[in-house]
Amino acid sequence: MKISKKAKMVRDKMKELFVVEKPENEEKGKRDIKKIARDFWYGKPHEERRLGDLYIGDTGLYKHREWRGFVDTMYYFNMIWLYNYGHMVMDIMKFGGGPVKGVVNFSKGLMRYRWMGQTYLTVMHWFDRGLEGMRGPILRGSAWHYRGMVCETIRQFQEMFASDKKLHGGRESEQWKHNIAHNETVSGSIFYGFHDVLEDIPLEMIPYFVTCHVNNHTVLNYIDAAQSIGLPSDPCPMCQAEYGIFVLDDYPDFAPTMITSNEACDGSVATSVIQDWFLNRPLFAMPQPMRYDDPLVQEHCQREIEECWKFIEQQYGVPFNWEMYCKYAEEQNKLTAFEHEKWDVAANTPYYPINGVAQALYRIYYSQDGNRPIWHEIDAHVRKIMNHTVKNKIVTLPKTRHRVIAWSCAPLYYSSWCTWAYNCWGLNCVINMDSLMFDQFLRTDTYEHALEDLSWYNEKAPMRAMAVGGHEHILSLWDYMERFNCDMVVMYDQLQCKGMQGIHGVFEDEFRKRNIHAIWVPHALPDKRTVSRKEIRKIISDYMITVMREEPLDPTLVDFEDDSSW
Amino acid sequence: MKIILKIFGILAAVYAALFAVFYYDLDGKFIYYIFEPMMVRRYDNMKREDTLKTPYDMKEDVMKEE
Repeated sequence: MKISKKAKMVRDKMKELFVVEKPENEEKGKRDIKKIARDFWYGKPHEERRLGDLYIGDTGLYKHREWRGFVDTMYYFNMIWLYNYGHMVMDIMKFGGGPVKGVVNFSKGLMRYRWMGQTYLTVMHWFDRGLEGMRGPILRGSAWHYRGMVCETIRQFQEMFASDKKLHGGRESEQWKHNIAHNETVSGSIFYGFHDVLEDIPLEMIPYFVTCHVNNHTVLNYIDAAQSIGLPSDPCPMCQAEYGIFVLDDYPDFAPTMITSNEACDGSVATSVIQDWFLNRPLFAMPQPMRYDDPLVQEHCQREIEECWKFIEQQYGVPFNWEMYCKYAEEQNKLTAFEHEKWDVAANTPYYPINGVAQALYRIYYSQDGNRPIWHEIDAHVRKIMNHTVKNKIVTLPKTRHRVIAWSCAPLYYSSWCTWAYNCWGLNCVINMDSLMFDQFLRTDTYEHALEDLSWYNEKAPMRAMAVGGHEHILSLWDYMERFNCDMVVMYDQLQCKGMQGIHGVFEDEFRKRNIHAIWVPHALPDKRTVSRKEIRKIISDYMITVMREEPLDPTLVDFEDDSSW
Repeated sequence: MKIILKIFGILAAVYAALFAVFYYDLDGKFIYYIFEPMMVRRYDNMKREDTLKTPYDMKEDVMKEE
């Protein structure tokens, strides 16, 4: 039969999009019914999964999603895919002030902002990348963490859209007048004393930070925009992206004031200066000390926080409410207490039901964002799962060959590298540096104690806590390695972080001296063009092959393209 | 009874269709090949305010001295 050219093209395209090629060495004609039934019900054994065969070219899309066995596939479909799509719609309506208003504001934001329309609709693929190959309780526990982050992200952008002057004809609504905009690196805990009256919303967290994890294409526009007006290209690309949003006029105008921080380097100070220019409204800069161990800086740091509160009181006419501060600080302490329980299980057992990427992202998100009801809801789900795995001694990542600690600042465009590393090499990333920051309870017995702890909390913020807080903090790696029973380090090498570059050699020496297996992973935080994800994988694989002399668990994951993927 | 069966049948068909969307990653393929390029074209061609024209001067009375 003659097939027309068009029909052949369609057939080839369908094959490319949907058909998984059988491996060359697979025996043809033989069908083991028992094995097929077993694979259908339980999923294929780890070594037979061939996850790399599921990808379509370099897009990161799947010819079909992974079959994880009947129970886990149904769980993924019902409780992750359907559940999250459904709840996203509900969250849009709930946080947008009702079904109609919520959907209208969401649509306006979608049409107006690149970071919204290009990024967040791809969110289920963010789940897919992070949860690939996961089975049983770790699939469930990690997915709950993702659900928490999605819910809070929707809350924040719906709050922004509802009061955004750009979406409402330049009108300064009552909601606009009651919002405080702040750097994503100013912790939400600063605003607990105003919480029920004023709404604090980090300005760059949703337009920039979260986008890099969900769809790493978007941020490149902002980095390029920053450089297009003659700003230098060598500072931290995180700072470049944060002010690039302003250069491109892609920031929502949702608040009458702005509070900034120097988190955690000079590049960030430049961000504040540029934001001060573009926002052109009252701005309070709240610098925090870098070398925070110096006792002389404590009083200064506390005074900065009090000055910030005074600024808010004057700008909004709302007094700081001590009772309210205590209420939310105590709520936050419950989150910190549960985090310690999680660390305990992660450190001392193989029963921890959270994978590396979910641990890292959830922890940095909620501790930076501050107390919100969704975090308590998620923790309740995770506690149930964790109690179950510990009680029944369920090993959650059974193919673990090495327990890894990831140190320094992570590549935002490849936060899911640890999922790949487990599937391909059995590397179990137990904990990472950013999870360990903000490790501070907030006392509420006296005002003085509260202020002291709050300033400590902010001094222990991401990057500052270890990376630029002084060499004694970054070198605490050895203590944490021991505490979390890790035998390997993945050492992030942020190529544009001058602070971390300065201590590179010290680490090299220490790794050699202590005979520690460490893999240096270079990256440029949000910018995937400097070191691609494929290059990161190659560096890890080369180390595993040449130094560790190990064989991959899934050979299809050693070398594949994903340059065009989200 | 017939109506209940009909409703059940429709729900089952919708559920099966959604499973097909999920399993064959049709949501991802739609966003990747159709929706995202369309939106990117829109954002690329969007008329934007020239933020560089924002005046840069000192603001007065931002913090009142006590």
